[in-house]
Amino acid sequence: MTGTVRVRRPSRPGIRAWFALAGAEMKMVVRDTAGLVIPIGLPLLILVMNGLGVSGPGNVVLPGTGGLTVFDVHVMPLVLTTVVATIGVVNMPSFLAHYRKAGVLKRLAVTPAHPAMVLAAQVITSVVQSAVGIALALGAAAAFFDAGLPRSPGLALGVSALAALAMYALGIVIAALAPSGNASVAIGLVAFFAMGAAGGLFGSAQNLPEPVARVGEVLPFGAAMQAVGAAWAGNTPEPVHLLSLAATLVAGGALAARFFRWQ
Amino acid sequence: MPVIDVTHLHKRYGDTVAVSDVSLAVEEGQILGVLGRNGAGKTTTVETVAGLRRPDRGTVRVCGLDPRRDRRAVRRLLGVQLQDAALHNALTVRELVRLYRGFYAEGADPDGLIEAVGLGERRGIRFDKLSGGQQQRLSIALALVGRPRVVVLDELTTGLDPEARRRIWDLVENLRADGVTILLVSHLMEEVERLCDRVTLIDRGRVAASGTPAGLIAQARLAQRVRFRTSAPFDPAVLGGLDGIASVEVSGEQVTVTGSGDLLQAVSTALVHGGVVATETRLERATLDDAFLALTGRALTDTAEPKDRR
Repeated sequence: MTGTVRVRRPSRPGIRAWFALAGAEMKMVVRDTAGLVIPIGLPLLILVMNGLGVSGPGNVVLPGTGGLTVFDVHVMPLVLTTVVATIGVVNMPSFLAHYRKAGVLKRLAVTPAHPAMVLAAQVITSVVQSAVGIALALGAAAAFFDAGLPRSPGLALGVSALAALAMYALGIVIAALAPSGNASVAIGLVAFFAMGAAGGLFGSAQNLPEPVARVGEVLPFGAAMQAVGAAWAGNTPEPVHLLSLAATLVAGGALAARFFRWQ
Repeated sequence: MPVIDVTHLHKRYGDTVAVSDVSLAVEEGQILGVLGRNGAGKTTTVETVAGLRRPDRGTVRVCGLDPRRDRRAVRRLLGVQLQDAALHNALTVRELVRLYRGFYAEGADPDGLIEAVGLGERRGIRFDKLSGGQQQRLSIALALVGRPRVVVLDELTTGLDPEARRRIWDLVENLRADGVTILLVSHLMEEVERLCDRVTLIDRGRVAASGTPAGLIAQARLAQRVRFRTSAPFDPAVLGGLDGIASVEVSGEQVTVTGSGDLLQAVSTALVHGGVVATETRLERATLDDAFLALTGRALTDTAEPKDRR
């Protein structure tokens, strides 16, 4: 290529660099106290608010569920879905938007780091935050509201993981496509509340108008709540809900890979 | 073949032309200084070399490679210090240097590099708790952490105190001694005169002149100036008939002679012949600042100029 400087065969940064970047992201979250409010504070708040609402005489054992209460079937899926959705759809785009605006991504762009490393680091960090938030919520639910573990823990874990990845993919798409940093934060919030409202965030989806409920149920938030709820009760989630989550994950991942830019 | 080769670069943002025709070349192991006022197109040029911007027209090559098409190969060879980049601000100096070191297959020892930029005692401090000058030094360390063969430094010592500045200049001189090729954007004449083998002056998106620092001063054909004092009143007729004298100005005991050629020698000889006892005789040499003004018609630094740069 050139007679003056020998160009070595390009090699990608090793796996340790990927984990180092994920570690850096986690330090960013942990060292910034406000960063812990959404993954840890919010689910506990939702848990307590809803838990108080249905505790005592309201927390009846639902017929036909073999001993599951309203809390188990409605509140736990709501908390889990809210954790993964806020982290994915609200937190992740705002972090990426901040990095883009401040020039963190620009600085990384002139190193051999690949954009996918930044996205992977965000996903790993989000998974850890979600796991911590969910574990805390489960612990608090068991300690204060006498909630049980899911009827089929493996299935519930798998469905929750699928829901989480779908939310992260959605968050990355928002970060990738939004025209500006502020726009991505705004789009993230609107997406979260719109999906949430139609999917049962503010009360049972049964109270929503029929068309809204039908749409909300296939949007990622509603689909996640329904699928996690089914898994919690030991039932097989409906294919349409799983399909919605899988489609969000695949389409989101593809769009993000295509359109994510450093600046 | 130049290690960094920019030919007829054009770049506009909307209606604003940032760079309308810039060509520059840095040979292996050399330091090229890029000088210009704020908004002249320096940073756009640098960011295009770094592969952050796509040229509208013209070509950019680093070691014969296109910084955008051959992104991965160029990233491994080229270290970049950007003017307005940010870092993960909750991480410490040491964590950041180690993080960036991890992006390269080979590189410098993080602790040694931190010492070299004078941040040894700040290694455990978060980025957002560092002073502006310390952040700048960390940014230089990160540009060098992959042991690049080619380095782009944008406003290297802006915000540094004189001691830190000299330390960084020593560091750059060590890089040159190691054969590293450097593109240095600056508006500090002292820095450019000390470090650069060649200089390219950019004004309003175009190359105004380029050459060695001494060559540019010569190219500007600036008048030289000889000043001296006399105890007795000075009669300008003593210098009459000398070639190359443009003007003689007498202000009390102070005499200022402007002209060209070997002015100091000519004036000294004429004074001796005329029996004039002159003291404090000195030749005022033109600086790159003067040359910039002469070659572009505008002073290099003008604080009234709005600092809008994109």
